[in-house]
Amino acid sequence: MTLTLPFDLAAGFLQEHLVLPVLYALDLMDWEEISFGWSLFAVYGAAQVVITYAVCLPLERLRPVERWPDQKAVSVDILYTLISRVGLLPLVTFVLFTQAQWALNGWLTDHDIVPPTLERLMPFLIGQPVATFLLYAIILDFSEYWRHRLSHVFNWWYSLHALHHAQRQMTFWSDDRNHLLDEVIGFVWFMAVALLIGVPPMQFPFLVLLLRLLESLSHANTRLSFGWLGERLLISPRFHRAHHGMLAAGVRSVNYGAVLPWWDMIFRTADFSADYVETGDPTAEEAMATGSYFAQQWAGVRRLFGMTTHA
Amino acid sequence: MAQRAVLVVNSAEASLSVVDLATQTERARIPVLREPHHVMLTPDGQDLLLGDTAANEMLFLDPVSFAIKKRMTVADPYQLGFTPDGKMLIVNGLARAQVDVYEAGSYRLLHRFPLKSMPSHVDFSPDSTTAYVSLQGTGKLAALDLKAMTVKWTADVGKAPAGVMWNNGRVLVAIMGSDDVAVVNPATGTVERRIKTGKGAHQLFRSPDGKLLYVNNRVDSTSVTLDATTLAPIRTYKIPGGPDDLVFAPDGRIWYTLRFAREVGVLDPKSGAVQTIAVGRSPHGIFIGLPPKTKPVS
Repeated sequence: MTLTLPFDLAAGFLQEHLVLPVLYALDLMDWEEISFGWSLFAVYGAAQVVITYAVCLPLERLRPVERWPDQKAVSVDILYTLISRVGLLPLVTFVLFTQAQWALNGWLTDHDIVPPTLERLMPFLIGQPVATFLLYAIILDFSEYWRHRLSHVFNWWYSLHALHHAQRQMTFWSDDRNHLLDEVIGFVWFMAVALLIGVPPMQFPFLVLLLRLLESLSHANTRLSFGWLGERLLISPRFHRAHHGMLAAGVRSVNYGAVLPWWDMIFRTADFSADYVETGDPTAEEAMATGSYFAQQWAGVRRLFGMTTHA
Repeated sequence: MAQRAVLVVNSAEASLSVVDLATQTERARIPVLREPHHVMLTPDGQDLLLGDTAANEMLFLDPVSFAIKKRMTVADPYQLGFTPDGKMLIVNGLARAQVDVYEAGSYRLLHRFPLKSMPSHVDFSPDSTTAYVSLQGTGKLAALDLKAMTVKWTADVGKAPAGVMWNNGRVLVAIMGSDDVAVVNPATGTVERRIKTGKGAHQLFRSPDGKLLYVNNRVDSTSVTLDATTLAPIRTYKIPGGPDDLVFAPDGRIWYTLRFAREVGVLDPKSGAVQTIAVGRSPHGIFIGLPPKTKPVS
């Protein structure tokens, strides 16, 4: 694919001139085969941050929903994004997913069970990487709807997820502001579904990145609606803002979908009203909204173990 | 009549590039399922085996046209090798830390060696009784007795060992975590000496006339020739892009897969010039197709 060539070449350059020499110096050359996956993921992750910035920043400047005297609370969200998309998380997700898939599929094969894949179920998909990729994305988006909805149903889970909702200055950087434990649960959930449907290891990080690119846009502080039809095809900033509304925190929320609004429409949790509501969670303690990275994480732990009171 | 072609295995793109040998242009792209790595011609020349590791699948390809003839479920087929007598196929499962021994032809599993860890490359004693497997994760070489189906010995050979080759009564092992090739006594596993080649020594190949050995160095991105008898280094070629496997073309040039460049490099060993051919992502295994007219008839 010509579109991917510049990114692949950048990843190859990174691999040849930085990653391999570092692995060699650290006596870690047994990781050389798998490390190229991380290089690819990191390059695509960095590109995704740049694309998100280039698309969302002008939208937020031109048509903001809210203007704030200062944006200190947003700076922590930038840190969340960089950790999540370029650095540690790509490495961990790729390595863990690959290892888990090797173990599971090898075990199934040993027991004369052909590991599941969409292509084996639907052989016409072999050689159709774009169609297969989109189909995997739709299935994963469906699973994300239910993970997200359940995180609002169970009190213990929402104690962690409240960190995501506590942000009153919601911007495109806010998508990754999650409690680490919530991230771990989310990753295990996503990975389990991906293993079940046989997502190719090399597609896994790209699926994560594609879904998150669109999720970033849906968090943007901008008056942007996709119109009657568009709102029913793809989640817009307006649609997702309703989910982050002050009055929609916890179990009362609506619009749980990540990328596609179809699941909210099918399961009757969609709210297509045209309001641009204020965001935040009045039940969250202030440290969750405006604290440092570590203060926010600690606040989540305190709430999880009932060390703070909340509504 | 169709022109002779070269098969390039795009490991990070789940595809195979078919490159015209004469014009050096990609003529077709064949999709596979997940993550293919290595190819091996069957002893009778009827099939080209391709291991797709993440798909847990071994494909049987036509060695002339590369059309897919058959698929077989195999756990983690990373590296493939037939014993010199052609009776057994060894399949290294790098991710699953296992070496499987199959009966050639029927492809019935005869034995599984669990080996820690990351069994990477394999070669054999000329009498086909012993397989030598590099264990990339633990820095060892394992000698497997293929008659008794036991592990004869494992020995420390260096950090992240990769390519293995039987040469003049010794086993050569490319040490990827270092800059040398270890010369190993096949009876005891003792490293008798080390030949400096370059950082990230990865894979070894013998020239068609048997006089030279080519060692590809992954970190330095070089290919070094050694005298096959004395093991003295002769010449170093710069091959940018992470050289991995290679094949010797009939015109004397050498085709390298370049893992990080989406390219195959074609080296003129006389001038040292390298031309490149665009292929898919992270090309690994490579095979020059048999000429159509000389395809063996069963």
